[in-house]
Amino acid sequence: MRTLGRVLSAEIVKMSSRYLWLLILASPAFAVLIGMSQSEEGPISWEFILSVMGAIHGMLFLPILSGLFTALLCRYEHHNGGWKQLLSLPVSRGSVYLSKFIVAAVLLAAVQLLFLVCFLGVGWWREAGGPPPWEMVLPRILGSWLATLPLAALQLAVSQAWSSFAAPLALNVTFTIPNMLVANSTTYGPYYPWVQPLIAMSPYGADGNFGALNLPLESLMIVVLGSFVLFFTAGLLSFRRKAV
Amino acid sequence: MIRRVMSADWLKIHGKGLWFLAGLGPLGLVAMQALNFGLRYDYIKQEYAMDLWGALLENISFFVPVALYLGSTLICSLMANIEHQTSSWKQLLALPISRVTVFSSKLLLCLILLTISCVLLSAGVMILGLVLGFGTDHIPYGEIVRIGLWPYGAALPILSLQLWLSLTFSNQAISVSFGLILSIVSLFSIYLPEWVPLVWPYLAWNSLQPMFYSIFGILLGMLLLLPGALHFARKDVI
Repeated sequence: MRTLGRVLSAEIVKMSSRYLWLLILASPAFAVLIGMSQSEEGPISWEFILSVMGAIHGMLFLPILSGLFTALLCRYEHHNGGWKQLLSLPVSRGSVYLSKFIVAAVLLAAVQLLFLVCFLGVGWWREAGGPPPWEMVLPRILGSWLATLPLAALQLAVSQAWSSFAAPLALNVTFTIPNMLVANSTTYGPYYPWVQPLIAMSPYGADGNFGALNLPLESLMIVVLGSFVLFFTAGLLSFRRKAV
Repeated sequence: MIRRVMSADWLKIHGKGLWFLAGLGPLGLVAMQALNFGLRYDYIKQEYAMDLWGALLENISFFVPVALYLGSTLICSLMANIEHQTSSWKQLLALPISRVTVFSSKLLLCLILLTISCVLLSAGVMILGLVLGFGTDHIPYGEIVRIGLWPYGAALPILSLQLWLSLTFSNQAISVSFGLILSIVSLFSIYLPEWVPLVWPYLAWNSLQPMFYSIFGILLGMLLLLPGALHFARKDVI
């Protein structure tokens, strides 16, 4: 546990570069632009604001950011023999891998928090009716974050394996772009891991229950948890046997 | 001289995923539409009975600009990364060849790869239409060629920019993140004014004068190459 903490703090230092903040800002900033520009008939509702702001955020930005963050996490090590240096230290490979994943998850959580703040700001500015609907928005923010974690696990697995920065992202966007079609399909949508963040984010859930975590439990268990376990284990196993 | 540099670059891009990517883009787009049409075939046949080919082209045209931008971003980055990764800029530029030649060779290779992609897209659309049984009577050959080539011309400014960024910064995170964000923003082409170059690939298909946007794109792309090539010719090699 003690080494994990130390590896983790090293990862955080490595990630504190200037450009990273721009990436964290990009999606919420874009969502604000959309949230301010779209209008609907009658008074603006919180559900409407969440649906327009969350559409691109959940459909494209969250999956792509999960790929960018994990690729960035492995960039230092791929250059100039960083893996050799890092893995020759008295730390276990498992804790190195786990700490990288934790940092990616924390960065994605930071994006989600910022998105939440922007959502509340836009709703307040556009005078959406009533107090902030915490019980509607919080499960959706949390749910889409959880649904992004399997994608981050897969991207971390390929990022540690491929030394090029662009190659893992090519894989990432190849699976993310079909989201625009899959999102419309009620048959395939629930089983496509890349579209889960969007489904979790949508305020107009299939069954319309606003209180519960918006992902249907079945989809959460099978798709999100299943793909997470699969991708994370595969990545961890491949990292433990990686020749440096 | 340029031919020899290019043949060296040609060898270097083998096994780097560049050819794979150039094939994956158009095949992916066609496969997506194959699924889309395959799943909703009855509905689409009813809705667009008059013009099935037109429906296919319209459906695919929505994804062409974003695919072009993603493709240019990733191809430029992978191309530049061959030297960044192995820190071999010094070695390459110490050879008795002008830097402009090195730059042009990389540029031409990117263009060749993207051209192959775009031709594959046209061919793929044609094959998909025939497989779906749209009939051979009214194949819109002109339109099929147009969907491959005109948005490509209009996307050249971004290709120039991405090549410049990828060659300049050894940190590929900068150019790739920038390109990915541009690609996502390009999905909102309908809401952006027409003078923004990012919108041109969309307008090169969906406007009254599509050819103009393609030509503007080629001109602006060439204009943007100048600062890129000049900067590359003068920058310090670390």
